[in-house]
Amino acid sequence: MLSRVADSLYWMGRYLERAENITRLLLVTEDFSTETQGLAEDLAQTAWKDMLAIFPSAQLTREITPFAPLSVPYLHTFFTDLTNGYSINFSIRKARENARSVREALTLEVFLALNEVFRAVETYERKGMPDLPAFHKGIFAVVGAIEHTSTRDDGWRFLKLGESLERSYRAALVLRARLPALLAAEVRGDAPLYYTQWRTLLRSLSSLENYRRVYGARLEPNLVIGFLLFDADSPRSLRYGASVVCDYLAALSGPVELTTPARIIGRLHADLRYDDEAQMRRGDFVGLLDRVVGELAKTHDAIATQYFVT
Amino acid sequence: MLFLGAVKWLPEKKAFDEAFDRDGTARQHYRPLVSILEGFTQGEIERRERLQRLSLIDQGITFTVYGEKEGTERIFPFDFVPRVIPSREWERLQAGLVQRVTALNLFILDVYQGQKCLKDGIVPPEIILSRKEYKRELLNVIPPRRIFTHVVGTDIIRNGAGEYLVLEDNCRCPSGVSYVLENRNTLNRVFPEFFTYYPVRPIKDYPTLLLDTLLHAAPRFSEKPVVVILTPGMANSAYFEHSFLAREMGVVLVEGRDLIVEDNYVYMRTTQGKQKVDVIYRRVDDDFLDPLTFRRDSLLGVPGLMNVYREGNVGLANAPGAGVADDKSVYAFMPELIRYYLGEDALLAQVPTYLGARATDLAYIVEHAHELVIKTTGDSGGYGMLMGPFAAKKEIEAYLAQVKKTPGNYIAQPLIELSAHPTYVDGTFEARRIDLRPFILYGESVRVLPGGLTRVALRPGSYVVNSSQGGGSKDTWVLAEKNA
Repeated sequence: MLSRVADSLYWMGRYLERAENITRLLLVTEDFSTETQGLAEDLAQTAWKDMLAIFPSAQLTREITPFAPLSVPYLHTFFTDLTNGYSINFSIRKARENARSVREALTLEVFLALNEVFRAVETYERKGMPDLPAFHKGIFAVVGAIEHTSTRDDGWRFLKLGESLERSYRAALVLRARLPALLAAEVRGDAPLYYTQWRTLLRSLSSLENYRRVYGARLEPNLVIGFLLFDADSPRSLRYGASVVCDYLAALSGPVELTTPARIIGRLHADLRYDDEAQMRRGDFVGLLDRVVGELAKTHDAIATQYFVT
Repeated sequence: MLFLGAVKWLPEKKAFDEAFDRDGTARQHYRPLVSILEGFTQGEIERRERLQRLSLIDQGITFTVYGEKEGTERIFPFDFVPRVIPSREWERLQAGLVQRVTALNLFILDVYQGQKCLKDGIVPPEIILSRKEYKRELLNVIPPRRIFTHVVGTDIIRNGAGEYLVLEDNCRCPSGVSYVLENRNTLNRVFPEFFTYYPVRPIKDYPTLLLDTLLHAAPRFSEKPVVVILTPGMANSAYFEHSFLAREMGVVLVEGRDLIVEDNYVYMRTTQGKQKVDVIYRRVDDDFLDPLTFRRDSLLGVPGLMNVYREGNVGLANAPGAGVADDKSVYAFMPELIRYYLGEDALLAQVPTYLGARATDLAYIVEHAHELVIKTTGDSGGYGMLMGPFAAKKEIEAYLAQVKKTPGNYIAQPLIELSAHPTYVDGTFEARRIDLRPFILYGESVRVLPGGLTRVALRPGSYVVNSSQGGGSKDTWVLAEKNA
């Protein structure tokens, strides 16, 4: 397929996934901050500030006003603000722009669903406060249309490659932003608050229910970490994410010898797959996460060189 | 105003009304449609119209407006009252169009090889040779199967007597066919009742016919020719159509930067390396096709493409140079050219045309500017034109000053009272001016799509139907002969 089209589909996948991630993180953080603002305002503040670490280079453009919910400036920055390259508005526009430039490669259903989400963003831009849950569903409608109507050709693979790379990358950044503080925290007097934070971490990576299904309702920090890093089946665990990226790259390169991006992600996947026990013993999660983020960035660069610049 | 039941009709008084007689009775082929519409309540019609508009927005059936905010997308307004053409009228139109396009192709062929029509004095040479659409670089470069005009859109209007007249030919990159197909889809969904009484000829196989036509343009040696559509890109006003046709035909939509010339062949850059291209349905003007041959500043084209074409290693549709036939002064000579090449009289009439290049005509134009429509010979889309009867004196004077500087670049025609058609406007069916663009494909034979783009001037009293200037469109029905 055309390199330009592959490039656009890859980025369409990335931007759609990014928009979903931002929406989810806003939803979860808003819940957490509403729950804890009165109880421990510093924790609520930190949760919002983490957004700026997960999406580096994003900046708040509105002041935090006393007595207003903490969420107000963040919702503005991460939903409507077009000057923020990591706002939902920006991501959806980019996804649609990419889709429009390769419209012949998409099914009508996908384009319709994406167009509807786009129009919803436009409406919120005019009217103010977004209805996040409704919007979240809109994105799922797009993803569902892709799943149900797209033929499984290279175009689809590039789209899914972008989606899975973005997903792993963002998951790694979420963990990188939140784990250090969580690990440093003691189970102080208010254990419920402590566990709320771990629960929020799982929800940030839509993994709470998946975790419970494996380990039950009890939140054990080590189990949570192990689950988010090394689980074999959970879509947002880092190991699963790397294996999916591996699979799409293998399908794209065909039976020929390994391509550069496939080698980079293959090595990372092998570490996550076979070195999990040692990693858990060592406990240097920050070091591991930094490596994951770095290798994923390298994979992206190698994909671009391999496929988009010909 | 006419009240037939609950629905209000405002037929046309000055011009030919497609649906109603002078005395206000519905013409025979509009009677079922009129009675179906009368069966609806106002509320129901409004509901369907909303539905229809929403479906256009959701599907992103849009065009891009130039000169407004960068990348502005608009929907092309669709009026749901279909235009009905009886089979007998269509047969005559079709025969006339086949004849005309055959002659046009022969003319272009002649211009680039032999120039007999110039030598025989049928057309004054200066009209051809001085035009920018005439490409000297292409002399004696003859496309595969001697076809220049693979896809033609000829604009047709009807005068006060209801006679069909050719207004202009578009032999370069006529657009609008995607709206023809989408309008039919929309109407099928929103007003299925309309179709129960009418034997409407289907148009859905246009993409198949187009692909056949393009395959026919392939260089002889290709066994399984690879066809692509070349678009200037997303910012182009017809981008929706380019992408639509690529999807419908199942071919790749490319931009100039996706193509590369090597060893005198054209390739596209793919994720698996380079792949050879045999036919390019290019929706990019000649001037932008190849910066090495035409405009050097063009970023839309492919450097070296024209060399490949000259070598006969790639087919281009339409063939470069075909635009010479779109010239509005050439149009004036079409009846003679048809006689010259085919030995037949033109089956379709056309609008009387005065040439700025001819001294006697020029004097007439200057004298009668206030009753004429004056146009530049090279432009299309309603740009650069003066509507004498509606223009202020100062405007006319300023325009004539330009005409006198380069009279050869202008032609003038009497204002034709375009026919009018019932159009739904705020709860009433009011007459609005329309035209018709049928699409003609030149492959193994010359074929006309039974339908076309009916454009409608939505502003009351307006004669300008161009989408860039506030026009809309209608579904166009060509009826089949009833077997009964």
